[in-house]
Amino acid sequence: MAFAKPQATLRSATGIPTGRLAVWWLLASEVVIFGGVLGSYLMHRLGHPEWAEAASHTNTWIGAFNTLVLLTSSFTAVLAHQAAEKGDGKKAAGFLVLTMGGALTFLCVKSYEWTVEILEGFTIQSNTFWSFYYTAAGLHALHVIAGAIIMGIVAADAYRGRELQRVELIGIYWHFVDVVWIFLFPLLYIAK
Amino acid sequence: MAEHHDEHGQHDAHDVNYKKIYFTLLGLLVVSVVGPFFGILWVTLVTAFGIAVVKATLVIQNFMHLRWEKRIMKWVLTTSVVLMALFMAGVSADVLNHEGNNWENIAAQAAVERGLAAMAGEVVVVEEEVEPVEAGFNPPSTFNLVCGSCHGAAGDGTGAAGLALNPRPANFTDPAFWATRDMARIVNVITNGAASVGGSPLMVGWSASFTPEQIQELADYVATFRPGA
Repeated sequence: MAFAKPQATLRSATGIPTGRLAVWWLLASEVVIFGGVLGSYLMHRLGHPEWAEAASHTNTWIGAFNTLVLLTSSFTAVLAHQAAEKGDGKKAAGFLVLTMGGALTFLCVKSYEWTVEILEGFTIQSNTFWSFYYTAAGLHALHVIAGAIIMGIVAADAYRGRELQRVELIGIYWHFVDVVWIFLFPLLYIAK
Repeated sequence: MAEHHDEHGQHDAHDVNYKKIYFTLLGLLVVSVVGPFFGILWVTLVTAFGIAVVKATLVIQNFMHLRWEKRIMKWVLTTSVVLMALFMAGVSADVLNHEGNNWENIAAQAAVERGLAAMAGEVVVVEEEVEPVEAGFNPPSTFNLVCGSCHGAAGDGTGAAGLALNPRPANFTDPAFWATRDMARIVNVITNGAASVGGSPLMVGWSASFTPEQIQELADYVATFRPGA
């Protein structure tokens, strides 16, 4: 596209490239968003022993498998960054496509999981545990979807050798989504 | 942790063995799944949550490269985490406890009681229907707690939460109110909500929270606001 680059993009007053600064800044706000949801969940969970019954219906194996998927996609995302640092846009794009495959797998597994649970009668309105469950995992899934879409755009550019610095930026965001899941997994699937 | 500053704000190739970090993460995942099977509380806490912190740290430091980032960014992120902790510290006393010296969270206590009874019901003999919470019920204080937020502690319809409502919450001290009401209707509205008689849906029914006797007592208390009562 034929936009002139905004001047801010070329500046780096903090010593951090502007794009990376923006991603960190975004993540600082995400910490508060996810921290708020997870912190509220944790406090309610500790105050409500009866949630153990609802929590016992979540499927640990599905949660563990999705953790494996996200950890693996983080690995391919960092390999994409490594390739981009070496100036190999094609290879970086390849690793980003693999990462998007991870996102897709994660979402398919999640769809299956939610379908089973909803058909069993556990909906977002069943009780407060399930409200938290669908809200926290749903908000996370939206981040997965957004990340995968942006990754597609970055990969398309990287394949042509353009804007290679963005490979790192989408990677940092993606690792954050991974970190959120690392905490969601024990909170929703293991603490029974 | 060795910090390495480069002058251009760009990363050079980092000295990280990504494959090794990845396999460490997978190993930790296995531990965090297996640990809770022992059913020992502290083992579960350490393997599930302790290891989550370790995994997150590995990802943040090595994949997100935060260890090589400028210090300002570490402080910004730390600030977010500290604000989170402050939020939790501030509200935890009210969320984790269901009663204090001068207050009681009746809804939360009832939820725990119902839930635990339902759990027990699965294993042991089916318990009798769970009673609505009796503890702490007395008409004036329950009115202040449950009704007063909109209707006002003095029953004059000026509670803080009701000021912006349309239609306004009923004013029990207004003779015009009593011209069209009798006790049966008041009991009915408290039980089934005002929408059942064509009133505001924001005045919900309370049959799930109080027994018919308690609702009658509340209605009697409302009648004490009637001018000349």
